[in-house]
Amino acid sequence: MPFLVPEYCKGCGRCITSCTKGCITPGTEINPLTGLVPVVLDLTDCNACELCIDACPEPFGLRPEGEQAAFELRDPAELGGPRPYDAPVPEPLPDTTLALPGRAPLVVKGTYASALGAVLGGCRHVYGYPITPSTEGAELMAKLQPMLDGVFVQAVSEVATVNMMYGAGGAGKRCMTFTSSPGFSLMLEGISYLIGAEVPAVFVNIMRGGPGLGNIAPAQADIKLACRGLGHGNTHAIVLAPATPQEMLDLTMLSFDLAFRYRNPVVVLGDGYLGQMTGKVRLPDHMVVPGIPEWAVYGDHSHRGNLICSIELQEADLERHNLDLDAKYARMTATEQRADLHHCDDADVVVVACNTPAQLAKGAVKELREQGVKVGLFRPITLWPFPIDAFREVAERARHLVVVEASEGQLEDEMRLALSYAGVHAPPISHVRRQGGVLPSQAEVVQQVLALTHEREGVL
Amino acid sequence: MPTSVFYRQFERHDHATGIKAHTTTYCPGCGHGVAQQFLAEAIDELGVQDRTVLVSPVGCSVFSYYYFDVGNTQAAHGRAPAVAIGHKTANPDSIVVCYQGDGDLASIGLAEIISAAQMGLPITIIFVNNAIYGMTGGQMAPTTLLGQNTTTSPGGRTTFAGEPLKVAEMIAGLDGPVFVERVALYDNRRRTHAKRAIKKALELQANGTGFAFIEVLSECPIHLNMTPEDAEGWVRDTMQQVFPLGVKKDATDRQYPEIPTPAFDAEATLAAMGTTTEQAERHATGFPAHLDPDDISLKLAGAGGDGAQTAAMLITKAAINEGFDSTDIPSYGPESRGGTSYADVHVAATEVLSPAAPHPHVLVAFNAPSLAKFGPTVRPGGVVIYDSSIVGEVPSSLADGVRVVGVPFAAVARDLGAVQVKNVVALGALQGATGLFPKETFLTVIRSALVGKRAVLELNEQAFARGAELASAVAAPAG
Repeated sequence: MPFLVPEYCKGCGRCITSCTKGCITPGTEINPLTGLVPVVLDLTDCNACELCIDACPEPFGLRPEGEQAAFELRDPAELGGPRPYDAPVPEPLPDTTLALPGRAPLVVKGTYASALGAVLGGCRHVYGYPITPSTEGAELMAKLQPMLDGVFVQAVSEVATVNMMYGAGGAGKRCMTFTSSPGFSLMLEGISYLIGAEVPAVFVNIMRGGPGLGNIAPAQADIKLACRGLGHGNTHAIVLAPATPQEMLDLTMLSFDLAFRYRNPVVVLGDGYLGQMTGKVRLPDHMVVPGIPEWAVYGDHSHRGNLICSIELQEADLERHNLDLDAKYARMTATEQRADLHHCDDADVVVVACNTPAQLAKGAVKELREQGVKVGLFRPITLWPFPIDAFREVAERARHLVVVEASEGQLEDEMRLALSYAGVHAPPISHVRRQGGVLPSQAEVVQQVLALTHEREGVL
Repeated sequence: MPTSVFYRQFERHDHATGIKAHTTTYCPGCGHGVAQQFLAEAIDELGVQDRTVLVSPVGCSVFSYYYFDVGNTQAAHGRAPAVAIGHKTANPDSIVVCYQGDGDLASIGLAEIISAAQMGLPITIIFVNNAIYGMTGGQMAPTTLLGQNTTTSPGGRTTFAGEPLKVAEMIAGLDGPVFVERVALYDNRRRTHAKRAIKKALELQANGTGFAFIEVLSECPIHLNMTPEDAEGWVRDTMQQVFPLGVKKDATDRQYPEIPTPAFDAEATLAAMGTTTEQAERHATGFPAHLDPDDISLKLAGAGGDGAQTAAMLITKAAINEGFDSTDIPSYGPESRGGTSYADVHVAATEVLSPAAPHPHVLVAFNAPSLAKFGPTVRPGGVVIYDSSIVGEVPSSLADGVRVVGVPFAAVARDLGAVQVKNVVALGALQGATGLFPKETFLTVIRSALVGKRAVLELNEQAFARGAELASAVAAPAG
């Protein structure tokens, strides 16, 4: 036989038509607590068929009389009855590492190196959609993962890809994708959700020429997206910029640790050259065996109480969540800045560059040093957070900064923002920029630095 | 039946204040509450509460995670099936359920649901079709009936918006699903049946059978502007005429293949990566400084399919085997065969800094357009090696002191009976003309590239030897 707490009845009356005995009638009294009109039960003719309970849309609406009937029906707080919550507080299953025996260096292309870094970083869940010039990474994963009982899923789109990562990352697994600029654009909505729900995931974006479909040649014009535009809302992620195939492996491997340390996506930005370029790659001395973090929605007893969600309906709750994210971003900024300084100690001119342009800028530094020009290279490895702690001193001492990049000034914007926030009095800033799939050349860098030094010496 | 699959208190519902601790966000008479009760009971009866991951959609059921005491994930609009694939592949033992409305599943999420259904991974979809957008306030859904009034089809839906989408039939037409049924909630009989269908769909996942899809015709009295009773009548008399109930597909005699669980073994991982402990034997006595003191750039250019890319890769491998640094950047047109194809290679004593080769020391040209285009870019004193069986005329605009070595790559390869080895003839010619590395260095990488293909090894070795011989005859290498 059913019983009903009137406060939990919305008065829809679906039970009325379900009852073949006519036990239930529409109410007439407005319930003062809910403002609704609950139904009225008269169970004289009730045969306990319980069809009314099936018809009731409310979990605490019509319920079978039983042990619960012993409760004070008018006290909603007590009504829940003895429903023990038996899912324990989940314990984290920590990551471990396995030592790797020495191996001869590999000769592989950048996307392959990145895929190997992911595998060694414990990634066995790869989701992706083919796009040049990143596809080889996905192709290698499609071959490697089944050999290691891992998973590669070719999704219907980049939009589906990032949401598969939301699922697998939310389950606590190390997951990643390979993509390139137009595909990365499509993933941004999902990245915003990942950040909001604090789900770790790794994105390797091999940047190509844009805007629009652009071309498949190397570019660096997604720096702004990765550093300032990861979808809607208050979003940031650590952005790593490798410069060699070796760093494609090392930084991709590192990115999984960072993603899980902060419960946040990590973006590895390469340029098209770096993705396609074959080079020498040494393997690390260990590989990671990932555990399962305590917050994961893994689908087992101990993780049953968890929720992966980016909704906070109450403004105060959402503001608090944003402040928590801010605090996390501040921790990343304080501890995760990475940079490579090359001949910066006595440099009058400091070239700032990342990815392949940093390599050729290094070539320019070598060439110029041979001519006696005091020039150095500052190479941010994290584009966000910009390594301002290391850059401050370099920038304050230099007479010129030259930003070398394959975009319209996106790296320079990051640098200028960092300088500005840090209150650094920077020297004049000039640049060497190419776009549309063209990288700056070593000769162009040399020429720009020489022009600056000649100008200073009054030669011009 | 009462079920412990609902939380005892809805803590996530406005921090369980007042009666929100025990009531849903659904309007009076909404079918969601009924369908969710059946889902909760099915989870309970099958004993899979601990293993269940419920993916909440965007729409009126967005807050399903307020109620279900299971692992919960809340997805972006329409993406629940993709999120479900992530969860299921992350833990194949989990029971993953997507609970989605008609806007979420049948409009913005069409690509995800169709691809997930076709993939057929064992997940369970509960698709609640009430022919209208609820949460946004009564707009037209893909399943809105012709003539039905909504805020975005005022005066009634016309065929300009297309016919209502029959999702269950569409999903049943795919190969992936094992079970597709449309059920309804408008009377006791339909409810009893709906409950059974939802349980069956879940059971098919628990048994590992496959992908199951239940479309539930549901009532939205508020936006239909009806009493709950009239809404039930409308579903019975009008809606189900367009969306007939019943099993649309039953292929439950199948069994989805087992989803693997990852292994973490150092040796197996290294083996899969194709690593080796063997350090290749070195044959060079030092860096080929006769070409450049510390960084030699080469360009290999031809048409797609000429083998320029493979040859470039072998040069890079050879250089690294010798302990030098090397890079190789491919570049090709959109065609998989034909079109232009070239590669920039650097060999450096210590580190390659600028990987492009706009002014190479050495050009290997497989055809006339490549020679015409890149010949003039070769730096003074450089070397141009070209296929003299294909190229008739060498451009006159070469830089000072560029040595030109013509070797009939294609003709030699044809004579050997396999035109595809012309790139190996070219490598031989490169060796013979430049002395970049000793012959054995090249032969080592050729052999390792042909591991398991012994039959063609001798052919390749002959091609290499012939190329080297002919190039040496044309011009003795400098240095």
